[in-house]
Amino acid sequence: MSTSPPTIGSVTTEGLTKSFGGVRAVDGASVAFHDGEINALIGPNGSGKTTFFNCVTGMIRPDAGTVTYRDRDVTGLAPHRIARSGIGRSFQLCRVFPRLTVLENVLVAVQPHGLLERLRGMRNPDDVARARELLARVGIDHLEHAEARDISYGQQKLLELAGVLMGDPHTIMLDEPAGGVNPALVDRIADLVRELNAEGRTFIIVEHNMELVMGLSDHVVVFDRGRPIAQGTPAVVQDDPQVLEAYLGV
Amino acid sequence: MPNASSGTRASGPTTARVVRTAALLALVVVVLLFPSLAPDPFILSVGVVILSYAVLATSWNLVGGFTGYISLGHAAYSGLGGYATALLILRSGLNPWLALVVGALIVALIAIPVGIASLRVRGASFVIVSIALVLILQLTFQSWHTFTGGSGGLRVPRPFGPDVLRPEQHERFFYLHAVLLALALLTWWAIERSRLGAGLKAIREDEDKAQALGVPTFAYKLTALVTSAFFTALGGGLYALWFGYLDPIFQFSILVGTYMVLMSLLGGVRSLFGPLLGAVVVGYAVEVFKSQYGDTQFHLVATGILLGLVVLFMPDGVIPALTSFLNRRRRAASIREVSAEELARQREEATR
Repeated sequence: MSTSPPTIGSVTTEGLTKSFGGVRAVDGASVAFHDGEINALIGPNGSGKTTFFNCVTGMIRPDAGTVTYRDRDVTGLAPHRIARSGIGRSFQLCRVFPRLTVLENVLVAVQPHGLLERLRGMRNPDDVARARELLARVGIDHLEHAEARDISYGQQKLLELAGVLMGDPHTIMLDEPAGGVNPALVDRIADLVRELNAEGRTFIIVEHNMELVMGLSDHVVVFDRGRPIAQGTPAVVQDDPQVLEAYLGV
Repeated sequence: MPNASSGTRASGPTTARVVRTAALLALVVVVLLFPSLAPDPFILSVGVVILSYAVLATSWNLVGGFTGYISLGHAAYSGLGGYATALLILRSGLNPWLALVVGALIVALIAIPVGIASLRVRGASFVIVSIALVLILQLTFQSWHTFTGGSGGLRVPRPFGPDVLRPEQHERFFYLHAVLLALALLTWWAIERSRLGAGLKAIREDEDKAQALGVPTFAYKLTALVTSAFFTALGGGLYALWFGYLDPIFQFSILVGTYMVLMSLLGGVRSLFGPLLGAVVVGYAVEVFKSQYGDTQFHLVATGILLGLVVLFMPDGVIPALTSFLNRRRRAASIREVSAEELARQREEATR
């Protein structure tokens, strides 16, 4: 976890804008996340973090601006193309496929090119072995036959992470990974993020848990009213007067 | 779950597999013997109708069951299949069986632009688009006298010569429908266990999430719809060859599309044999109501009540409801051996 300036940007946006009716949820946001680091995106409720996430991952088409991922323009690409380019994501309120089993939930992420490849059985031994490995890594491999709707919320969060990892993304965007889970699990998730980052994966995390953000991230971007008002190391951001005013309410 | 056996549950899946294989064999035997057991040609013709419904419902389930996109307008594809087959025979002089297949391929091609337009919208909007398609086709085929025969109908030449008498016609078409049904079931089964199937089921559960995991949702939905349209058209075409007469009112009817949905929901859209079971129950009931109450609309009321009951008490359909009922009974009836995995799960649940 170095704090030296990175050589290439991970996700970089230029003038990204998205309005809903009269509300500019994201307002000309130009942000650079650092490759190979744990980045955090914080800001008050309604500051446009999730909309920004959705614009980057293709779930929402931005009105203006560009999204670049590792020097490639990915603006407006369909979500599955962005996923294939190497960005995995989780959702704010954890989303799993409720009626599929835990194992199937992970196997869904194996979607190769070509019709013949797609018609192959989803339970081919290599994929299943890798899925089990990932489930074991997040600690829920004993639940592989259970339907996802029958496991606890915390377990669903871990399952969602395992599904994202199955796509072997270089960059992982997590929307409130610690939301609604107990402190022990927050620690577990933080450890997983550190481990995966040490293996070379970049993280961009939206989170309200300040303790987690400050303890975990290398680089913090603070959003207010749809645009960044501060960026830097946790220490720098914490002392920024604008941040204190907008976010911490001081 | 076809492959649940790979876990630690040693005894369960093998028994389940034996039961499943036995049930499948029994089904095949019943279908094969039905024509010789049927007491008269009328009953045999009811058998053909029910198998035809089963083909249509199973074909509908290729898109409805996998993706959760509820098309109430699948009669568009069966109707087009019927007309395409008939018109290819009448206007191009094609061999009837070739016309059947070529007709279905044409319908599959037509389904591509329809899918591109309609699969962009989800939920109620998709349902409405699917209904609109049937109504448009009904009006078009009624008005276009010179080509389709218009509201006067269209006579479809019989594929078998005049020396083949009616009961034998019924018997041949019964087996032909059975073969088509087997093909549709086989296709559903193959997709169900494939990566494509995993992607489709993910779309049914949560389309946005599926996309975020890299599932090319639009291409997958379109693949499912075109495959479904192809089999539905084959079903419509084969029925047309048997019945020998086409009328736009009955070919492009909302009711036929609704039956496909009702049958699938009744049996269970997540089960391979759900739509088949639904077709047997609903198809039989409809025929009984029609023969008892003639041309009254009573069979519609009865079908409506049936649908309401299913949605209220068996929202997943008969097959899942029966399976879970049997599982519960089995659990209650004997002391089970608990595997390490289940113990772990119970512990997990206790600490949750």
